Amino acid sequence: MTKLNTVKWNHYLNYIVVAAITLLFAILSLTGFLESSDKYLLEKIAIAITLAVSLSMVVGFLGELSLGHAGFMCIGAYLGGKTAVILEPILGEWPTLIVSLLVGGVVAAVFGMIIGLPALRLRGDYLAIVTLAFGEIVRSVFMNSSKESFGGSLGLDTPRFNKDILFIIAFVMVLATLAVTQNLIRSKHGRAITAIRDNEIAARATGIDVTKYKLLVFTVSSFFAGIAGVLYSYSNFTVQSTKFSYNYSIEILVMVVLGGMGNINGAIIAAALITFLDVELQTILTGNLAVLQDLIYALILIVLVVYNNAPKLKSFREKYNIKALINRFRPHNPSKHRDDEAKWDRVPTKIKMDEVLSVDLQVSSPYTPDKAGKEDK
Amino acid sequence: MKSNFKKLAAAALALVMVFSFAACSGGADYTAENTEYIIGVSGPLTGGAAVYGVAVQNSAQMAVDEINAAGGLNGVMFKLVATDDTHDATKVAANYASMLEGGMQISLGTVTTGPGLEYSKLSVEDNVFFLTPSASGDKIPEFVNGYQMCFADGNQGKVAAEYVNTLGLSEIGVFYKSDDAYSNGICEQFKDNLDPSITTVEAVFTGEASDFSSQISTLKNCSFIFMPIYYQPASIFMTQAKGIIADDAVYYGCDGFDGLAGQFEDFSVIPQEVSMLSHFDSNATEGPAAEYVAKYTEKFGSDTLNQFGASAYDCVYALYYAMVEAIEEGKEIPVTISASDLSDIFIEIFESGYTFSGVTGENITWDENGYVAKGAVKYTLKEAN
Amino acid sequence: MEFIETLINGLSIGSTYAMIALGYTMVYGIAKMLNFAHGDVIMVGGYMIYVGLTVSGNPIISFLAAVLCCIVLGITIEKVAYRPLRGASPLAVLITAIGVSYLLQSSAQMIFGSAPKMVTIADLGNLKFAGLSIPVYIIVTLGCSVVIMTALSLFVKYTRTGRAMIAVSEDKGAAQLMGINVNRIIMITFAIGSGLAAFAGLFMLMKSPSLSNTLGAMPGIKAFTAAVIGGIGSIPGAMLGGILMGVVEAISLTVPPVAPYTDAIEFIILIIILLVRPTGILGKKRREKV
Repeated sequence: MTKLNTVKWNHYLNYIVVAAITLLFAILSLTGFLESSDKYLLEKIAIAITLAVSLSMVVGFLGELSLGHAGFMCIGAYLGGKTAVILEPILGEWPTLIVSLLVGGVVAAVFGMIIGLPALRLRGDYLAIVTLAFGEIVRSVFMNSSKESFGGSLGLDTPRFNKDILFIIAFVMVLATLAVTQNLIRSKHGRAITAIRDNEIAARATGIDVTKYKLLVFTVSSFFAGIAGVLYSYSNFTVQSTKFSYNYSIEILVMVVLGGMGNINGAIIAAALITFLDVELQTILTGNLAVLQDLIYALILIVLVVYNNAPKLKSFREKYNIKALINRFRPHNPSKHRDDEAKWDRVPTKIKMDEVLSVDLQVSSPYTPDKAGKEDK
Repeated sequence: MKSNFKKLAAAALALVMVFSFAACSGGADYTAENTEYIIGVSGPLTGGAAVYGVAVQNSAQMAVDEINAAGGLNGVMFKLVATDDTHDATKVAANYASMLEGGMQISLGTVTTGPGLEYSKLSVEDNVFFLTPSASGDKIPEFVNGYQMCFADGNQGKVAAEYVNTLGLSEIGVFYKSDDAYSNGICEQFKDNLDPSITTVEAVFTGEASDFSSQISTLKNCSFIFMPIYYQPASIFMTQAKGIIADDAVYYGCDGFDGLAGQFEDFSVIPQEVSMLSHFDSNATEGPAAEYVAKYTEKFGSDTLNQFGASAYDCVYALYYAMVEAIEEGKEIPVTISASDLSDIFIEIFESGYTFSGVTGENITWDENGYVAKGAVKYTLKEAN
Repeated sequence: MEFIETLINGLSIGSTYAMIALGYTMVYGIAKMLNFAHGDVIMVGGYMIYVGLTVSGNPIISFLAAVLCCIVLGITIEKVAYRPLRGASPLAVLITAIGVSYLLQSSAQMIFGSAPKMVTIADLGNLKFAGLSIPVYIIVTLGCSVVIMTALSLFVKYTRTGRAMIAVSEDKGAAQLMGINVNRIIMITFAIGSGLAAFAGLFMLMKSPSLSNTLGAMPGIKAFTAAVIGGIGSIPGAMLGGILMGVVEAISLTVPPVAPYTDAIEFIILIIILLVRPTGILGKKRREKV
């Protein structure tokens, strides 16, 4: 039972770290140590973390590729912003904040559910293109809205929240996102979700309600994307639809991928780091050098994904990774070995799965050993 | 083990960030250590709109270098800080804060309108004066600290409509970019001020569209087409419309048309008449505009030569001469003056009938709202063949 | 008359989509991967034509150079970025493809700057016919698309390599057991796809002379949408989807109130078609086996 205790402690560690950081910066802010640029940066980091964690639910745990996360955020930003514009004179600052967060989140969640429906029929690349299409449709609708409704091409003027406090609220939202996501993932529902990812047909056969879980994940994930959108609208004076193109969805995806698919802590770190570098480099690199940043990101993305996934590099990876290097200095304790971590190299793919299942003579399927190992348990 | 390591890394990262935050913290007196006057500008230096931002950066730098070479302001040099916002309003806050905290005293605002709105609201809180070369949104001069060197969109639309009303046409075509603040802003005022007896045929495009065959066939019977768009899509439209739109038709644009001729090896391949209402013509052969064009082309080539740059060049000089005038009036502008104090001086000078002559016009003045008043000239870029 | 004109415009837009979609469908059909970077290979082709024109001044030489460059680029991308991932999750491959797409775009901006280049290849003029004025490039593009489509179909059906391609697309493992060099076949597929990208680049520049580093981005996505609508993996499907997209776009652009929503309409059609026929109009139904 000592094992259980360590596990629990581990489970709460990332909340504690995030909460400690929030507290630290809150104190720094109150004592006047933070410049406004730091507060802007913190807001951005918190929004990015919320987005990355919520997207990692869909991509990392459900194993579906969504390229429309910015679309959900767009809905949240516009509807939350509009709610804030209407309600702020009536309700005052704080009640408005809560109401608009809820409105933005819930409407985005409803759309998430709607887009989750095709996810039941479509797989892999098809779903990716449908979510991408969804994001572009949303953007186009807000872009061409009338001036009175959502501001059209000029964007929607939204109230900016006090910058001394907004980043704290944003981090509280990060904690909320973490709480919901992690509790869901670690529950029996979470195991059902990863089962769907690993093999949908087998999951269905064991009686898992695939429809329900897919919709659940899409809904929860887009709820938090909507929340991030509302925070975004509060951190800017105007909400402009140009921001929410598919390129932004890809940016979020990059954070999830760099953090390690299905690794929430990784996503948090990657989101914070990328946003931090983005903002720092934005003011340093100018002219043609600014392109260098995109170039380097692209290179890192390719190298990292190839390195982490190439079947031929598997033995190399196992031999020389940080974990192994650290383990070299630790006493080996087989009882501490855990197998429930979601691993990137086990991330699925339905199309591939079908192929694997429908073929008798598959000479070099990387899934066979894994699957065999799993089913044995 | 792995997750422990990640947490360790997270903690380390947090620590690094805390240090980097703590390192840049200080008092509110950002300009106390300035040894030069710092001019800030935020514009798209990368991405789709980079050609405008780069033009502004180059031209402003050129003006700053010239002023410095001539001894600066009473021996104090100027320094330009340009930051990249990739035409994304979200990035403006960080740019603005970093420039302000880096000691920015004067500003050229932003290059484009979308980010400009965000910038105006940020800078009005701290009272940082800005004279924007090209963020032409109607709302921007409404801020006390905001002034424009370019025409506001609404004004351009209005003047264009007044010109069209005098032509005695019964039907005109309008071709614009429906998801663009500049294009929409002009178009709205244009339609509001157009004689109701004139019917309009409209065609729109969005995004980075590059195939206009549908729009061209919608507009093919129009003898006069108003195009409040930038020169790149305009050049594509004209190339594709050859032989479909009548050769004696007229293309009429606003200041966004500037740079059009540079898009063609030989502009005469376009049979129609092309003219624009603008404050600057990059094909100028005489006067200050031609001098500017020669200098710019020599230094940076003609790739990014456009009215955005000319306007930025004027902005720097306008700010410089305003400071000269303020000193003549007995005001003190020490190199460590705070942005807010300097802003008060600028607002006073600009409101008291400050007049400036540069490459984008002579005797330029600003009204109390910050809208520019200067001659808008109809430039015929190309006669009908 | 108006309607015929709209249709012709639709063909004009659609023929480009069809040309790009052919490249997508080739690669997707055989390698079973969404080559997100296909649009950017088109862009590189465009820049190669531009460089060729500035160096040699001869459109034909520069076009051939561009085809060659694109083929080499396609093979390189496949070898460096995609081949190591053979057997890994398609998600990883897709993300790498996105990375390659960004890499190409930002490299192009580094090298050629951000200002769009105007490239005039050849002015083919207009064909006057029964009161209609049809730009000749539409006819050329459409003609080429049809020829390429037919050639591809025949190639896949009747040549040894083509049949090997079908085998690989059906089942890589079994094909390998049958003595087919899977890597070589996929390399050839990429070479063909990238060569088609150079064609698409040429036709796009013939239509619209502006060349920038995002030349292929949005058309690429639209063309992929077209390929999916037509049934990805099917060569006639790509053609059909492309033309359909073009016609929808042209019709939507001529109706003033919906014109700004054109992109949205195309994507809505995609979603509807996929909901009704998850494998597209001409796509083969895939049975799930356990």
